[in-house]
Amino acid sequence: MIYLMLLPILFPILMGISLLVRKEMKNRPALLITTGVSLIITALLGLLAIILARGEMLLLFNLTATLPIIFKIDNMGMVFAGMTMIVFVCAGFFSFEYMKHEQKEKRYYGYYLIVFGILMALCFAGNIITFYLFFEILTLSSMPLVLHNGSREAVMAGLKYLFYSLCGAYMALFGLYFLNKYGNTLSFSEGGVINAELAAGNIQLLLAVAFVMILGFSVKAGMFPMHAWLPAAHPVAPAPASAVLSAVIVKAGVLGIVRVVYYLFGASFLRGTWVQTAWMILTLITVFMGSMLAYREPVLKKRLAYSTVSQVSYILFGLSVMDAGSVTGGVLHVICHAFIKAALFLCAGAIIYKTGKTRVDELRGIGKEMPLLLWCYTIVSLGLIGIPPTGGFVSKWYLAVGALESGMPGFSWVGPVVLLISALLTAGYLLPVTIHGFFPGADYDYQKLQKKEPNSFMTVPVLILTVLSVLVGLFPNVLINFIQQFVTKIV
Amino acid sequence: MKEIMMLVVILLPIITGILVPLLPFKQRKHMEVFLEGLVVLNSLLVWWLLTGSQEEAFTLARFTGNLTITFKIDGMSMVFAGLVSALWPFATLYAFEYMTKEEHEKTFFAFYTMTYGVTLGIALAGNMLTLYFFYELLTLVTVPLVMHTLTREAILASRKYLYYSLGGAAFAFIGLIFIIIYGNTTDFVLGGVLDLNKIGDRTNTLLLIYVMAFMGFGVKAAVCPFNSWLPDAGVAPTPVTALLHAVAVVKSGAFAILRLTYYSFGTDFLKGTWAQTVVMLIAMFTIVYGCSRAVKETHIKRRLAYSTISNLSYIVFGATLMTPLGMMGALSHMVFHAVMKISSFFCAGAIMHQTDKHYVHELDGLGYKMPWVFTVFTISAFGLMGVPGLAGFVSKWNLASAAVESGNPVAYAGIVCLLISALLTAIYMLTIVVRAFFPGKDFDDSSIQDIKDPSWKMLVPLVIFTVFIILFGLCSGPVVSFLKDVANGGY
Amino acid sequence: MDFIQNFPFFSIILSMFSGTVCSVLPRKAARWVNTIVVSVAGILSLILLIYLIGTGESYTYMMGHFPAPWGNEIRAGILEALMALFFCIIMLLSMLGGRKKLDDEVVESKHNLYYILVNLLLSSLLALVYTNDLFTAYVFVEINTIAACGLIMIRQNGRTIEAAVRYMIMSLLGSGMLLLGICMLYDLTGHLLMSNIKESVELIMAEGTYHVPLLITIALMSVGLAIKSALFPFHAWLPDAYGYSIVSSAAMLSSLVSKGYIFLLMKIIYRVIGFDVFDGSRIIDVLFVFGLMGMIFGSLNAIEENDIRRMIAFSSVAQIGYIYMGIGMGTQAGMTASVFHILSHAATKSLLFIAAIGLTDVSGGSRKFIDLTGAAYRNKWAGVAFMVGSLSMVGVPMFSGFISKLLFAQAAVQNHGKMLPALIVLAISTILNAIYFMKTVIRIYTPVEESKYESITFKNMKLYAVTLVCFIILNVVLGISSQPIVDLIEQGLAMFA
Repeated sequence: MIYLMLLPILFPILMGISLLVRKEMKNRPALLITTGVSLIITALLGLLAIILARGEMLLLFNLTATLPIIFKIDNMGMVFAGMTMIVFVCAGFFSFEYMKHEQKEKRYYGYYLIVFGILMALCFAGNIITFYLFFEILTLSSMPLVLHNGSREAVMAGLKYLFYSLCGAYMALFGLYFLNKYGNTLSFSEGGVINAELAAGNIQLLLAVAFVMILGFSVKAGMFPMHAWLPAAHPVAPAPASAVLSAVIVKAGVLGIVRVVYYLFGASFLRGTWVQTAWMILTLITVFMGSMLAYREPVLKKRLAYSTVSQVSYILFGLSVMDAGSVTGGVLHVICHAFIKAALFLCAGAIIYKTGKTRVDELRGIGKEMPLLLWCYTIVSLGLIGIPPTGGFVSKWYLAVGALESGMPGFSWVGPVVLLISALLTAGYLLPVTIHGFFPGADYDYQKLQKKEPNSFMTVPVLILTVLSVLVGLFPNVLINFIQQFVTKIV
Repeated sequence: MKEIMMLVVILLPIITGILVPLLPFKQRKHMEVFLEGLVVLNSLLVWWLLTGSQEEAFTLARFTGNLTITFKIDGMSMVFAGLVSALWPFATLYAFEYMTKEEHEKTFFAFYTMTYGVTLGIALAGNMLTLYFFYELLTLVTVPLVMHTLTREAILASRKYLYYSLGGAAFAFIGLIFIIIYGNTTDFVLGGVLDLNKIGDRTNTLLLIYVMAFMGFGVKAAVCPFNSWLPDAGVAPTPVTALLHAVAVVKSGAFAILRLTYYSFGTDFLKGTWAQTVVMLIAMFTIVYGCSRAVKETHIKRRLAYSTISNLSYIVFGATLMTPLGMMGALSHMVFHAVMKISSFFCAGAIMHQTDKHYVHELDGLGYKMPWVFTVFTISAFGLMGVPGLAGFVSKWNLASAAVESGNPVAYAGIVCLLISALLTAIYMLTIVVRAFFPGKDFDDSSIQDIKDPSWKMLVPLVIFTVFIILFGLCSGPVVSFLKDVANGGY
Repeated sequence: MDFIQNFPFFSIILSMFSGTVCSVLPRKAARWVNTIVVSVAGILSLILLIYLIGTGESYTYMMGHFPAPWGNEIRAGILEALMALFFCIIMLLSMLGGRKKLDDEVVESKHNLYYILVNLLLSSLLALVYTNDLFTAYVFVEINTIAACGLIMIRQNGRTIEAAVRYMIMSLLGSGMLLLGICMLYDLTGHLLMSNIKESVELIMAEGTYHVPLLITIALMSVGLAIKSALFPFHAWLPDAYGYSIVSSAAMLSSLVSKGYIFLLMKIIYRVIGFDVFDGSRIIDVLFVFGLMGMIFGSLNAIEENDIRRMIAFSSVAQIGYIYMGIGMGTQAGMTASVFHILSHAATKSLLFIAAIGLTDVSGGSRKFIDLTGAAYRNKWAGVAFMVGSLSMVGVPMFSGFISKLLFAQAAVQNHGKMLPALIVLAISTILNAIYFMKTVIRIYTPVEESKYESITFKNMKLYAVTLVCFIILNVVLGISSQPIVDLIEQGLAMFA
């Protein structure tokens, strides 16, 4: 049974490789069927693994005597895995229509499946070595998705993404070396693994190491000052790729930070230190700056990218407070943001696909052309702003309340204030699309209006994601109880 | 019996080499069979020697007093001799194919094979004098190989190589003298041979001499500022650059530094002194310097040569940690880097052989025309970057954890250098990969229509090396524990 | 008294006498006589050496009827016999190797004169080696100078005459200073026999009188001999003299004549002044510094040179620097190293000169590097020989140069004050040597597409090739089994004192 957890990892990777290598896959229907079936099977396998192999630990083999490759499905991993599966399947089906106007689909689907498998591996990783292993491979295998269209900017953006991510990975690796010495083990365990005896006298060193590791993983999560790859990579990538990039892959960085902070160093080790303060300041800066930049950005996908920068730092802020409530909010926001941002990007993709328009000011009247899509857009936007009854409201509520309850001098109220300002800005940058889309103004030429609603390959995934994000807001208790249950153990 | 065999394995290739130009081969094939047969035979003999029980030292000749030419097999010899003898048959096989386009094959193969013997001489040397002797000899037999093409460039490069190497040997010689005078013996003994009574209050002089000798041997290991010969020597045919300037010659330098540090001066004497700091800083500087030059370089072989410079200093850095773990790290990087770099050089050679392209910017789109070569190249690039699961990660891990264990603040900075270098490695290696596989949107592949993978003689070594890169990466346990035993004096 | 003890005297007289005989013999016969005499002198020295090793002590041999402290003595110890043997070997090989060039470059009527001069040179060298008497030494120094001048001038063209004149002037300056030194020493001590002078010098030192005159004496004699042996900065005469004379002359001048003077200086240091007195004077430091500078500047000049012969000549300046550095260290080990280097350099440098001539001959007689490209393929033997000589000069193990370097470095470590400069200069000088010698080796081994020049086969140069092989063997023997020779040198030096 225990080997079951390898299936959702290996199956998509192998399928992806076979797509890349095999020649007969040039035939489009065959390609799509294979991909679609693979996606669904993977999701099912993932579910199966979660259900059957939950909580078990699998020692696969040893890289060296001291470096084991371990898989383990714990609650935190489950949350991320579930989110990953949903977004991947939705974005995958969206691609079937979207990718018609791009070339080299075979390559795209190949890497798409590989990235899926690797993300599952990241969620199931049982120790930091395994995590790091797949983290690096994730960077390498997701780069082809970014530079897919092969234009000069795309290649440049791909390389930028690559080098930023590697830079972050190596910072994390730096910390790994030290953890190897000062930790009891490299496996994730609730409350941390730092060996108090060894650590005594080296506290400052270890704090510095922790900070470097947090910074390292935060590169993927797009935290200031290492966020610049995000706005470069998103506009050039195909829309479904942006969706998974923004919704899931940046969360790999979040997961890394969660693992480092709560499962390796332990919250008690870092709480109240300069590391926490510095980290928190960085997240707040990012939250504000991301929204500001998004507000000023005319290109829709780029605007969404900046929005990601800002929103992911909400999560990081929640994590940095190290209060049960705020961490719960953070984890919940992982899910909400994933659904919402994936939906937003898919909408943007559908608009590009149908109209070729990329700038916000070109989108006047878009709501008349594709009303269903824009409705979805509007609903999830409200969610991202944090208006009840969407998921975003609940997670932000917990974030703010957690920060207020943490009682940290200064931050306990500065944090919520920044979050609030940012929420206003969010409204400012997301809603104009809705407003101009539905209310194009008096001079709009209704004669030219055509119905451009895309087919169901595109609309259904967006709808599913929208509904899910609303459901999270309507019935948050199931999730919150579950999350709070394990968050209290690690905080 | 076995003692004599040590001499045999050194002399057999040398004699074979001398015979090559003298024997009248009717066809090229006969020469190939003759050479390959003898090289393989010799490698088998070496492995038989190494796996057997350890015999006494074998003294061949006496110079003056207690200065003898002695051969002995200890742990380090096993590592280096094993490495060299494993790679040589493949390199020879590769050279057969590569050299079809070059002239004066016989001279080439003569010296190429002789180098094998001389390198084994370095590996099996039982004392400093023997090492020095073969070290000088190595310079001399490899100069004709660098000169091979006889262009003006080649002659200048070989001159430079000669001056640098002989000059370095001159300083290493000073170290030899001090070992003779202040040591109990010139034989290699793990832990050093210095007689502390004889030294008295002249510690600082001896440390100065150590630094000089280090720099002397460092010339072959291409430490800054004595590294400019290595990129220039890339004018040699690729089998030479790959085997000699990535493995045999340059690793002899690193090998000699290890011998000097661990077996002659001894770590007890050096550890914690200013000399250690100085040499460590030199190594660290070279690590970063080599990489940054590689990033700037556009000629493929020169780029790889700079990469070698940087990677050699990884080994040297391990050596300067002056702990058994450091030595273990150095040895593992010596072995793993050898496999990775020879593989990437062979790819570069295959590219040059098949396409006559020498610069990075000419490689657009070749990945699809030469899939085998570029897949291998990609894997070796990932290995060099230190992606987990490949050989490079393990050796870097060993080096870095040794640095952490040593507790030396300078060594911590060294880890940073290692990681910066890893990032730069990613930049200079992956730009090649990206160019080859993602040539850009409107790339016209009509000009490279006829290009294809080289024949099996080139591919077989490549594939085997790749398999080893992966094997070492995934299950390095036995190798690493063997190296650990070596570093702890277990052999 | 054993019969063998007469051998030094025999060999000196034999070579002198044969010199006289050569003047009347036909050309071919003179050549034979010369060859045989040199060989016989060598054999005699070898027998003497074996005899002395057997007895284990040196002896003095009275010439004429006046016993010490008057009269005139010969002294033979292991070191003297070794030197004599070695000088004979080198001279024999140089003559054989240069024989063809002699025929080519010197007018036939002068051949007899050449053999006379060579015999004279040999006798004077042997006398310098064996003499126990300062005045006799001076006389033979002069004979040596005259013979050497003749050897330079024998090939008559403007260059050699100019070189010979220059050599003459510098050499006479040196001899003059030596003579002054001897005179002053005679004034101070009243003796000319070495052993007697030494006793008196010890007395003077013990009393503490005449300190300054003694210092001046040492200085005069050292500098005089240094000029004659071309120590930097007194080497101006050397490149022309070695560079333009015929090859056997150049080989002999560089490996024998200058070495004879150095040996005399050593003898004076040990047997006249006393090692400790010399060590105590400042002169030793001067020699040391000049030696070091010679090592560097000689090589630097050689690097600039575009003429292979002159390059080798400048390399001699550097090598003489090594020897003086060894002397200047003021330790027994340094002295041993210097003596060994006399042997090793003699063997190597004459090899290089002889090999170089083979290379220039197959390059249209040009000595410019540009013409020498690929010469090693046209004359394979000379190519290999030149490479061996170069490797030895650079100090690659297995060749004699390595052992000298080893000995020098070991000696340097024993002298705390002079260690670092000596070692560093040694290393730098190795690099410089590598630069110009290896440059040449690469040059001669760089093939040219279509050579303008013809190559030469073994058939046409049997004697030459055999000579080269002998030289190479000599070099390798010194390089591999150096221990017995070093032992002999140490014993010999012990006998000196």
